[in-house]
Amino acid sequence: MRLVYAIVFSIAFVALVAEHLSSPSSGRPVSPEDFAGACAPCGAPCPSVSK
Amino acid sequence: MSIAAAPSAVAGRRARLDWPFLIASVLALTVLVALVLVDGQPAAAALLVLGFALGAAFLKTEFSFTASWRRLIVRGQADGFLGGLLLIAIAAAAIVPVAALVPGFGGAIAPIGPSLVIGAFVFGIGMQLANGCGSGTLYTVGGGSGRMLLTLAFFIAGSVIGSLHLPAFLRLGGIDPILASNYLGPWGGLAATWASIAVAAFAGIAMARRRGASYVPSRRIVFGAIAIGLLSIAVFAAGHHPWSVTFGFTVWGAKLATAFGVDLSHAEFWQWAGPKRALGDSILSDTSSLTDLGMILGAMAAAAASAPFARNPWPPLKSLLAAAVGGLLMGWGARLGFGCNIGAFIGGVASGSLHGWVWFLAALPGCAIGIKLRPLFGLSRE
Repeated sequence: MRLVYAIVFSIAFVALVAEHLSSPSSGRPVSPEDFAGACAPCGAPCPSVSK
Repeated sequence: MSIAAAPSAVAGRRARLDWPFLIASVLALTVLVALVLVDGQPAAAALLVLGFALGAAFLKTEFSFTASWRRLIVRGQADGFLGGLLLIAIAAAAIVPVAALVPGFGGAIAPIGPSLVIGAFVFGIGMQLANGCGSGTLYTVGGGSGRMLLTLAFFIAGSVIGSLHLPAFLRLGGIDPILASNYLGPWGGLAATWASIAVAAFAGIAMARRRGASYVPSRRIVFGAIAIGLLSIAVFAAGHHPWSVTFGFTVWGAKLATAFGVDLSHAEFWQWAGPKRALGDSILSDTSSLTDLGMILGAMAAAAASAPFARNPWPPLKSLLAAAVGGLLMGWGARLGFGCNIGAFIGGVASGSLHGWVWFLAALPGCAIGIKLRPLFGLSRE
């Protein structure tokens, strides 16, 4: 299990750093709730707007 | 005698330190903090560090929603449940008034309808099979549980599948979020939130007394509730929204799927402004991903600082199957139910949003079914 952990941890960390370096990042961390019309933590619209 | 014993005790403590994993977790946090600081994101650095503290706090206090809800259902024991309510009451003290009064801050809100109820119910089944909820999965993965590594993988997969189904479930109907502060003002909303928590606490105590079970939380539970409650306020201050966990999993899964050639950009969920932005931007720009990553590393550091890391053997196949099924159900349920125990229940109730209590009332019967299913996978009902 220890070896599996070491492998998963290493691959995930390298992938995370590579993804960060190759992707745009905003000025401050954002949540989907920061966007207009978001009605839930995932950014789903309100039922009254969806209708 | 005591002089001779002292160095051996120190040597014993040092022997229990797992240096490779302790150094790896602290080094990884340092690198991630440096990366976001280079990008000029001090709030992201704060969320990583707060996540780290949350992971360590959860692991050290063994704070658990899954086990405490199981004790509540099976034995009527309300100690852990009351600890969870204390945590929410502490978080609400800051979240309800600040979200109502300070521009740029907001509470955890969500529509109330079939999607919320079905999602929370399915999540409840999953958390008992997996033996951990959203936060539980994170800190046990960080703590060295190979079983929960499997749960996390399936949690991620389930949440991506849930993201594809959520729009259809939302079309079944529902009502807009109901926020106490919108009707009663910031302080009236806080009073109403605390009153609702008190009613739940009295209900828990009454249930425990009727069944002759204990309900007084241990010092460990109280300390965990206070520490995690205060940390969740700090997360709210840094992220401007209550702490959430599962949206990060959905983003990780969607990015992984995209890397393997699956185009999610045309799916309705991924066309909404928030998810669309999260799919395109760095993972380290997403608030829930930042605390999630910090939690895993914090739990890993805390675990490696006290015992050899990940030394337990793999559990039986049936237990691994329960971990996978539970993870899949939790992921799917979290997406439809607008979060897990943290984002929907704690975040929702601590924001004075009615959906938090609806989520809880739907998740609890799901937990009862999950508990009944546990023996099928070789797990005890207790």
